[in-house]
Amino acid sequence: MEEIKDVEIRMYRAGTGDCFVLKFFSDTSEIFTMMIDGGTWSGTKKELQVIVKDLKNYVGNKIDLLVITHEHKDHVYLFSACEELFTNDFDVDEVWMAWSEDDQDETVKEWKEKYGQKKRALALASERIDKGIKNQNVISQLKNGFQGEKVVNRFKNFASSLNDFKALHFSVDKKKKYKGGLKGMEVVKNQISKDNIRYCKPGNIEKISKLEGVNFYILGPPLSIDAIKDHGRTAEEGDLYDHNEILRRSDSFSAAITNTNSSDNISPFDPSYYSNRTSIKKYYNDETEAWRTIDLDWLVSGAGNLALRVNSGINNLSLAMAIEFEDSKKVMLFPGDAEFGSWKSWHQIDWEETGAKKKHLTEDLLNRTVFYKVAHHLSHNGTAKEKGLKMMKSSDLVAMATLDFKKISSNWKSTMPNRGILKDLINQTRGRLIIMNEEDLFYDFDEKVPISERIKDERKRLTDKEKSKFNASYKEHKLYKQYKLDVTKN
Amino acid sequence: MDTPSHRTLRGYAFDPSLSQRLDTHRINQVYYKVPWETIDYSDGTIRGEYVEIIDYDPSISKFYESINFDEKAILANDGLDPSESNPKFHQQMVYAVVMTTIKNFERALGRKIMWSTRKLDYNPEKGKKKYEDYVDRLRIYPHALREANAYYSPLKKALLFGYFHSNPVDQKDQMPGTLVFTCLSHDIIAHETTHAILDGLHRYYNEPTNPDVLAFHEAFADIVALFQHFSFPDVLKHQIASTRGDLTQQNLLGELAQQFGVAIGGHGSLRNAIGSINENTGVWERKQPDPSEYQNTLQPHDRGSILVAAVFDAFLSIYERRVADLNRIASNGTGILPLGELHPDLVNRLSTEASKTSQHILYMCIRALDYCPPVDITFGDYLRAIITADTDLIAEDVYAYRLAFIEAFKKRGIYPSGVRSLSSESLKYPTIKIKEENNGLIKIVADFLRMYANIVAYHPKREAIYEITYGAISGSINTHMKQLIGYEFSKRITGLHQRINVKFTQSREFKELTGLIFGEDGAEFGIRNSRTYPRWASFSIQNLRVVSRVGPNGNKLNQVVFSIIQKSGVIIENDKVKRVEIPDRDKPPKLNPGETYYIYKGGCTLILDLDSRKLKYAIKKPLIVFPKNRRPSRIPELNTEDIEKQFKYIYETNVMTMSEFQRYFSAAVDYNALEPFAMLHQH
Repeated sequence: MEEIKDVEIRMYRAGTGDCFVLKFFSDTSEIFTMMIDGGTWSGTKKELQVIVKDLKNYVGNKIDLLVITHEHKDHVYLFSACEELFTNDFDVDEVWMAWSEDDQDETVKEWKEKYGQKKRALALASERIDKGIKNQNVISQLKNGFQGEKVVNRFKNFASSLNDFKALHFSVDKKKKYKGGLKGMEVVKNQISKDNIRYCKPGNIEKISKLEGVNFYILGPPLSIDAIKDHGRTAEEGDLYDHNEILRRSDSFSAAITNTNSSDNISPFDPSYYSNRTSIKKYYNDETEAWRTIDLDWLVSGAGNLALRVNSGINNLSLAMAIEFEDSKKVMLFPGDAEFGSWKSWHQIDWEETGAKKKHLTEDLLNRTVFYKVAHHLSHNGTAKEKGLKMMKSSDLVAMATLDFKKISSNWKSTMPNRGILKDLINQTRGRLIIMNEEDLFYDFDEKVPISERIKDERKRLTDKEKSKFNASYKEHKLYKQYKLDVTKN
Repeated sequence: MDTPSHRTLRGYAFDPSLSQRLDTHRINQVYYKVPWETIDYSDGTIRGEYVEIIDYDPSISKFYESINFDEKAILANDGLDPSESNPKFHQQMVYAVVMTTIKNFERALGRKIMWSTRKLDYNPEKGKKKYEDYVDRLRIYPHALREANAYYSPLKKALLFGYFHSNPVDQKDQMPGTLVFTCLSHDIIAHETTHAILDGLHRYYNEPTNPDVLAFHEAFADIVALFQHFSFPDVLKHQIASTRGDLTQQNLLGELAQQFGVAIGGHGSLRNAIGSINENTGVWERKQPDPSEYQNTLQPHDRGSILVAAVFDAFLSIYERRVADLNRIASNGTGILPLGELHPDLVNRLSTEASKTSQHILYMCIRALDYCPPVDITFGDYLRAIITADTDLIAEDVYAYRLAFIEAFKKRGIYPSGVRSLSSESLKYPTIKIKEENNGLIKIVADFLRMYANIVAYHPKREAIYEITYGAISGSINTHMKQLIGYEFSKRITGLHQRINVKFTQSREFKELTGLIFGEDGAEFGIRNSRTYPRWASFSIQNLRVVSRVGPNGNKLNQVVFSIIQKSGVIIENDKVKRVEIPDRDKPPKLNPGETYYIYKGGCTLILDLDSRKLKYAIKKPLIVFPKNRRPSRIPELNTEDIEKQFKYIYETNVMTMSEFQRYFSAAVDYNALEPFAMLHQH
């Protein structure tokens, strides 16, 4: 067994989304190859094939361990877009996924069923909104009001944003109807893996025989709320996640949307209270009063919240892990797209051991983190502040963020990058923040200071030694950005 | 026979959840007494003078049968029995609370309330000549959303109430999955109605030009809901008895939306003006004022709760002072009340004091609205408005109400800008003294407004008041109204807008007074010229109203209040005003990279005393300033300091306070302004 000296971390530049390859080296040779996710927001098959071919070439058509963090397009799209490349002449020894992907597990099954209903509801709601904003009478009356054009655009903008959420979560057919889960996920589960999927639970410490002295601490996704309650804590709103809990708030909305039978099933009142008078319908539908109707509003309110809940639910189901090198105590953190709720739960894991200075092990791991894959593309809720970034105290910290404004939903641009997180990250890494594509990204609100400049400035704070080490380890290519992390004792 | 003066309707004092608690079920059913009105049910809706309830549920495309309050069985029983499963009762509850809230406002203001008008896509060059439409009734949809949400839509002039499945943290508090209807909560209904009423008074308070504006909207809506709790005698007595007269302890009066708070997974009511449950210990604690909170809290509800706490604190200290003698008597001078339950007579007396105080406080808060600037309100402005309005009506402050307010605001670090000290005298807006020759000009305007006030006084119909007011401002009045009004106004009149234009252009003093531009220099400040007077700067007059009140000593207040708004277009680069550019509806300004176009609204509320025919106060958010250290000091400059501050807030700080929903679905800054409350109230 040879001791691992460094890890080459390659971030493919397929577009906003994660596709990482990690190569573990000893002094003399390449020991182990790991791939984390294969996704992007957008990209033609042709463009993506170039990337996947390079990847295959780089790993010699063989991956020891493939980790899929969660089922979002920006993490699995490559597997469906370049299905043939991944299913031919490509070997994967082992696949890791979150416990919540174990389709054999009864609770997971039940949950997935419910989740599927919510996704279907989202698709249907989006269809209805698309249809609703084509109602000429309503639209022309809205336009008659003050800033009418803007009012109409707000609805259109909403519909487009909602369609993006759909694309992120599930496949739709040509008519934009809900088809099921993302195809990329199916490709991994059914074709790439050969019944060699390990489903990871928080609190597990996984080891790999080829990698001596390397520990994989599974941090997330958190287990259900009940498990957490057993430890004598009560849940706070938006903090701890039972993955059904938050979605339940959309129950009455999605019930109404997915209902295909008589409305009596879902009416909050006995049908005997329905009014059959035509005069009230006439009054409500009066042509000159269309601007006061509410047929779009309930959809906007309900579907918007549902989309956000489905979205953060899935993000929080990200398989999050800390990879520790025993000798040097250094840690690499790969949280997927975990949001605050997940980050918080890491600190409540009942580890068998405590960290240094009797700290909770999670805090200790964060303290020792020297490489951080930024969660959720620098969005505001991707990185926890007090429970996350503030605890990453290593002066060697390097971070990679998978954000590319050239390839992203236009509706996402307002949420990423979050200036606060960006500022903290650039500061804490002293400019060693590697972003997939810095073009069009700015450090400040006025869009005066390009991120690249700010990063350059910040790197002046590095010592000469640090600077030369960083420059020697960093490599930039059209298809990827790469950093070779020294995991030995300094 | 005379028509009855009141209609009595049963409803919940709080919400259905309190009817299921042993300690509160007895007091939770109350009788709402709302002013009698003729209601039109002919279309299957409930249509009164102020509101129309349309019980349409868009999620199932069904209308629910409407209640008919005038049916014999319903009339004789004071309405339907409270019931969660009968939509007709839901309509009754909404109607009762909305009308109660309206009544409270009208009593405090001494005039009829108006809903905000529907602004139209005004573009006279393209034949769109109408600027706005009168909205007679607020529309109410009791079952409009399937979300834990309820909001006032300024676009639709409607209240939308949602319902949802309860999702409590602790199953002991509520059965999970029960349907929760926001239209059954007194607090939520009163809160949303207040949003609508406030929008009718100050339409620009929807625009978050500083962190206080939306927070003020929220706080004010909460204040009204809270103080309405004190108007239910049984509830009040029950709570006084259970707190032994000490209202600083946990009690229902200071809580808002219990059922909703638990249903969305909270530990108790949605908001609490006095204290909250400590998340770590699970024990209720009184909240201590923390001046740093006002500095650091930006989310509108959270920031608003600072103002709510301040007002509630003022209430508590006045109440304590008012009952000090009763406590002395009851405790034989020891200050320590005997153990056990309070004597019912004492409970009654304490309740009377609490009820009186709360009504005073609520009215002070509502009246102050007439003394607020028309744009960009801050908590500090509001404090000054409270003090000024109260001093105007009640010269001698026997129970030190004003001091209690000042104290409570001070403790929370809320200081108005530009005052020398926090005394009542310096917080009160200074009475204007203008030159004699200019007073002459004002007198002519005052005479005109006297006439206006006289006519309005004899036309109780709200639509007539609107038309007369519109005519008084614009000088144009339709034939129908001419017939209705009958006299003076039937002749061709010179409207207030024109009068201000002519009079205020004559003296520089008016520019200094209002911080606005009258006359020829508009273009220099990015102000469009008027259509009627192509050489003079344009401005708009809003919210002309008569303030006629009688003080406790029989003194009368006869004032006319109106606001002037002026817009200036500026181009901003690097957070600094670079140049001005007159707004043009059809031609967006040409911008260089890095430049942003911004339209700043300056405004001034003018209060004119009808008895003395003098201008009393000018409460302004100036568009121009007269720098003191510059010579000659009488040449105005654009108020760039405030413009830049406002711009920076809107484009930077405000973005940080956006909810997730706003970030993803209405990221453009101006989209938010369209339905500000829909977004704010997402849970």
